[in-house]
Amino acid sequence: MNQNTDLLTLRSVSKSYGKVPVLHDIDLSIRDGEFLTVLGPSGSGKTTVLRLIGGLEPLTAGEIRLDGQDISRMPINKRPFNTVFQDYALFPHMTVSGNVGYGLSVRHVQRREIARRVAEALELVQLGRFADRFPAQLSGGQRQRVALARALICQPRLILLDEPLAALDLELRRQMQEFLKSIQREIKTTFLFVTHDQEEAIGMADRICVMQAGHIRQLGTPHELYYKPNCEFVARFFGENNLVAGKLGPVQGEQRPIETALGRLVCSISDQPHLKAAPDGANAFAAFRPEALHLADATEGDNRFSGTIADLAFAGSSTVATIAAGSDTAAQRLRLRIPSRIDGSALKAGETVSLSFAPHEGHLVLA
Amino acid sequence: MSKAGSMQPRERRLSLLVTVLAFALPVIFVLVPLAIFLVYSFFSVDQGTIVYAPTLGNYVRFFTDPIFLPVFWNTIVLCVSVAVICILLAYPAAYFLTTLRGRWRYALLMLLLVPLLMSYVIKIYAIRSILGLNGFLNKALVAIGILQQPSTLFVFNMNAILLTLSLLLIPFAILPIFLSLERIPQTLLRASDDLGASGLQTFLRITLPLSLPGVASAASFVFVLAIGDFLTPQMVGGISGFTFGRILYSQFGTAYNWPFGAALSVALAIVVICAILIGERFGRSRGTSV
Repeated sequence: MNQNTDLLTLRSVSKSYGKVPVLHDIDLSIRDGEFLTVLGPSGSGKTTVLRLIGGLEPLTAGEIRLDGQDISRMPINKRPFNTVFQDYALFPHMTVSGNVGYGLSVRHVQRREIARRVAEALELVQLGRFADRFPAQLSGGQRQRVALARALICQPRLILLDEPLAALDLELRRQMQEFLKSIQREIKTTFLFVTHDQEEAIGMADRICVMQAGHIRQLGTPHELYYKPNCEFVARFFGENNLVAGKLGPVQGEQRPIETALGRLVCSISDQPHLKAAPDGANAFAAFRPEALHLADATEGDNRFSGTIADLAFAGSSTVATIAAGSDTAAQRLRLRIPSRIDGSALKAGETVSLSFAPHEGHLVLA
Repeated sequence: MSKAGSMQPRERRLSLLVTVLAFALPVIFVLVPLAIFLVYSFFSVDQGTIVYAPTLGNYVRFFTDPIFLPVFWNTIVLCVSVAVICILLAYPAAYFLTTLRGRWRYALLMLLLVPLLMSYVIKIYAIRSILGLNGFLNKALVAIGILQQPSTLFVFNMNAILLTLSLLLIPFAILPIFLSLERIPQTLLRASDDLGASGLQTFLRITLPLSLPGVASAASFVFVLAIGDFLTPQMVGGISGFTFGRILYSQFGTAYNWPFGAALSVALAIVVICAILIGERFGRSRGTSV
């Protein structure tokens, strides 16, 4: 269980349904023992990646390697992976223990051994009392846990989870996220989790693979994706963001200025060599998070500009202001997130405010 | 009933009429005739006229006369055999249908169900000519050398009834089995594969048990239709192929003993109701949602 060794590698994997391509030349390495989330909007090909790995679909091109061995053509029932399906896919005619023990009994494991391991697995997912119930007698969250127990009882090298929380309500989803993460830590099995929900991805993943239109856009830790998105899509898709278009200026050490409708904005480019290498005058975006934006006292200096508050929205712990900034010809809508206060927000709609963000809290993405 | 209060009087009368009709139609056309039959079974006949005095004589005769009980029992065995043959032939056909994709699946299903639209009598004639002494079956068996000469084994006896009823009723078995197979979510089969099961294990442990409700309703369907049939035994059964349906028919048609016929019908109805109940009992799947 060394997080630095690759368990599974996808090399130049493509997939088409008939003439419709859904995956273009994907390269992806899954590390042993990690919780990897594949995140993308619907139609991005994320579920297809999971189905190809699980063996539910054949590859069109490329190869999948497990411990260096090509398993592209290995049949589904021989792969040491198990799937938690989106709709659980529990067998309705079997009890909870029948479902959980299924993977062992088709391998002709001895009855007593099955009973012991089923009890163990049900204990792990806290469903010991429900062993003799049928799936129809369980709640959504309980079925979810049965599906998980059924997948992990065969001690697979990799557990594939296909949007397993999509059907649950918000509160239950939060509980299940923590639960999944804690189980993953306990059994130290590699999890490949597919979702379209970026909050879910941030909360659980060791690494996130962002997909769009059949391509992998970025692979990194949640922190990297949030603060150093490498393209416009990730910058916009992953969390709330303010993007201001402009042209790059000359590199200044670990920072680089960009000329925008809001004036000259200086952003950090540390650890992002492609931004250092981009030519002067290249089209790019200055990107800064709503919570990185601050109310400033002065209107002069780097990363300072003024705007008018168009709208205020109370969102519990924080308040989000929509701000119209820039000139009339190049209007720019920005979001500002500040902590809420019990005596009402310090801001008023229609007010003109001066704003700034620190260079190290801004980042650049190439257009 | 708070909703009814807000309705216009005319509307209320209309909805009352619909409710009454919904209950009245099955009562008038199903329950009342059945009740009349039940009542008639306690009457008797004297020289062609019905005597309206209650008696248990018909039932005593049914249970004591050496003719009726053996025929009754043989007919039940025959119809169970028909149901078994139909299931054994229909299951592979229905399973094959579900492996087809899209349009082909329903085109072929329609084709299998087309015989239902044809006249029952014509179908029996057609099958009889296939089974007969100079029929296709005999000629084929002689041609491939299984028989030395045409056999009378297939017509005008119990075998003929068995074969004919099975052929006629197969579509009634295919349909419910097909529907139950089609309703099995594909992800259940994928989940079984994913957990390491072979194709055969997936079939035996997932597909087959989940399609049993369809098999049960198919079996009770075929059994009920077969046991009520008198035309097929009449036309292909000859003298030796004597079934309970034929006895019933003769009581009403030739012997003109309606009370005794009614008593025999009651006995048959009890078997039919039992078959439907058994089919329903096994047809109910545990936990239909996934």
